[in-house]
Amino acid sequence: MGAAGGGGPVAPARAVGATRAWARLLGSEMSLTFRRPRNLAMLVVLALVPVLVGIALRTFGGPDEGGGPAIFAQVTGNGLFLTFAALSLLVQLLLPVSVAVVAGESIAGETGAGTLRYLLVAPAGRTRLLAVKYANVVVFCLASVTVVALSALLAGLALFPAGPITLLSGGTVPLSEGVLRIGLVVLYVAAGMAALAAVSMALSTLTEVAIGAIAGTVGLVIVAQLLGTLPQLSALQPYLLTHWWNGFDGVLRDPMATDEMGQGLLAFAAYVVIFGSIAWARFTSRDITG
Amino acid sequence: MPEQASQDRRGRRGNAVKWAVPVAAVALVAGAIGAGPVIAAVQGDPVLPGRTAEQLLADAAQATKSGLKPMSGTVMQTASFGLPGLPQVPGMGGTSPAALLAGSHELKVWYGGENQVRLALPGRMSESNLIVNGDQAWLWESDANKATRIKVDGQALHGGAGEAPKALPTATTPQQLAQELLRETGADTVVSVTNTEKVADRAAYQLVLAPKDASSLVREVRLALDGETFIPLRIQVYAKSAAEPAFEVGFTSVTFTPPAEDNFTFTPPAGAKVVEQRLLDTPAAERGKVAQEKAEGLKDRARTIGDGWTTVMELPLSEQDLKGQAPKARGDGPAGQDANAIVDALLKSAKPVSGTWGSGRVIQTKLFSALLTDDGRLLVGAVTPEKLTEAAGQR
Repeated sequence: MGAAGGGGPVAPARAVGATRAWARLLGSEMSLTFRRPRNLAMLVVLALVPVLVGIALRTFGGPDEGGGPAIFAQVTGNGLFLTFAALSLLVQLLLPVSVAVVAGESIAGETGAGTLRYLLVAPAGRTRLLAVKYANVVVFCLASVTVVALSALLAGLALFPAGPITLLSGGTVPLSEGVLRIGLVVLYVAAGMAALAAVSMALSTLTEVAIGAIAGTVGLVIVAQLLGTLPQLSALQPYLLTHWWNGFDGVLRDPMATDEMGQGLLAFAAYVVIFGSIAWARFTSRDITG
Repeated sequence: MPEQASQDRRGRRGNAVKWAVPVAAVALVAGAIGAGPVIAAVQGDPVLPGRTAEQLLADAAQATKSGLKPMSGTVMQTASFGLPGLPQVPGMGGTSPAALLAGSHELKVWYGGENQVRLALPGRMSESNLIVNGDQAWLWESDANKATRIKVDGQALHGGAGEAPKALPTATTPQQLAQELLRETGADTVVSVTNTEKVADRAAYQLVLAPKDASSLVREVRLALDGETFIPLRIQVYAKSAAEPAFEVGFTSVTFTPPAEDNFTFTPPAGAKVVEQRLLDTPAAERGKVAQEKAEGLKDRARTIGDGWTTVMELPLSEQDLKGQAPKARGDGPAGQDANAIVDALLKSAKPVSGTWGSGRVIQTKLFSALLTDDGRLLVGAVTPEKLTEAAGQR
């Protein structure tokens, strides 16, 4: 690495400069991510699904007693439940796929296009570059989950009556607290997606073809979900990332059951630590030829 | 270029060192998962002051006499009877009787006093609650968005409560009760006590009851009692063939502070179906009554062979009875279908046996055996199949 970084910070203001450089790098990554038509299209699709579900429920009514998940029956009574229904639906595949696309692309895409070499010439250092890229993906995770929740919230309020929320335990909380609890769900699901992003990013450092990392991640998600449905392998379930994504129903209980969500967050953290370190070891040690 | 080569080697070594980080991360996570048992092992077992079985039973009886303390906690029930060919039912959220035969079930409990109880059975995106507050009782099922108000007949409740103590031995003091219990069980049971158990993060005594008879399939029954309050925290039934308990009900977390009052208040949410029911009219009570009558009818025709742990129950029952009764008695509901599926699966996996008494088919699980003879008898006991066939010969 030479002194190629022309406008780099000077020694006295090093700490401030480093933060600023970090922020600038993240900013440029984010503007790349959120200006990419493909990513925007994914966000639009994510926003459309809750609206479609809402319209379908409005047109055809909720599922009859005993048919379909009970949560969909709740939606017709209270629009706020559309957020929970939409999130529990999309967290199965559509959200993971869109996160996998962005995260799997992050390193392998640059390698494949031959642009990674130029990024590495800047005096940023590979560790920092990796951290920035991961931070960028985490922002995308939060954004996509928020898009789903917001669109479901607006669609639910527009299509169905709204009011105090009936919790699973039979208690009732005011609308404002319901919205607050939705906020907790958004954060929880985003954390689950961030854990998947770490896996996807590790795969992304192992290949030079972005589609390989993306397909690998989606494949892992499907395999994990398959393993999770086999009752014979129930002992394996707590170790599967997918097992925890849906575990946010604790916010709808009274008193709020935080134990399962707490365990879920620990599982997410474990995935981030393991796969983040794999990505780091691979990314900082390999030869960049692309 | 020797310098270049050494630089390459150094770089490669540095890269190899970097891979130690993910390895360390995996070790860290694995360590964190295993840390609970390790920390417990390092801390050592909690040691409570020593107590004999008699003292322990007396304390427990005393605790029950003075009433339960307010508490709340989570109860986990796990069953693995090892029923052959049982249709697999996913563990979470299943409420059919078949679901309780396998897998784990979680139950949340709040107990505020004699008349304040709340039980919650959480499922995926659903929850069932039973809330008893004074003379009011509610059953809330979120799946069906239905609240059932159960009117408790004061008389019926008190009548039931009044009957219970009569079933117990006629001892007057807890000490006497303990002595009597021990005398009764002592003949065929080895009773021991440990004071180093830990259940739901609380130091506990454990009463271990092991049958003396070798033909019993039960290795031992363990009852853990809280070291402070002497409230039963866990019961485990161990089969001879397995290291893990075949059946277990116990607290996974428990606190002995009065639960918040709003746990026991319930107002049906707007939009929910509200049904009123008297306790004695509930289908469950009715079924219970029918079952009780039937059981009494059977009792006259049933007989027991042997005593203690190796008691074998003999009922006049044929394959037709088993298959024919289930759907008629319970309607075409899922419970009836489940029962039928279980009967079918069990009969298919039964092993044919024969002896001087005739022939039949035997099923063995971890904890009990059942023998259905061709001449229309059903023998059941927590014993080996050999013991069953032996009993079948004792006419």
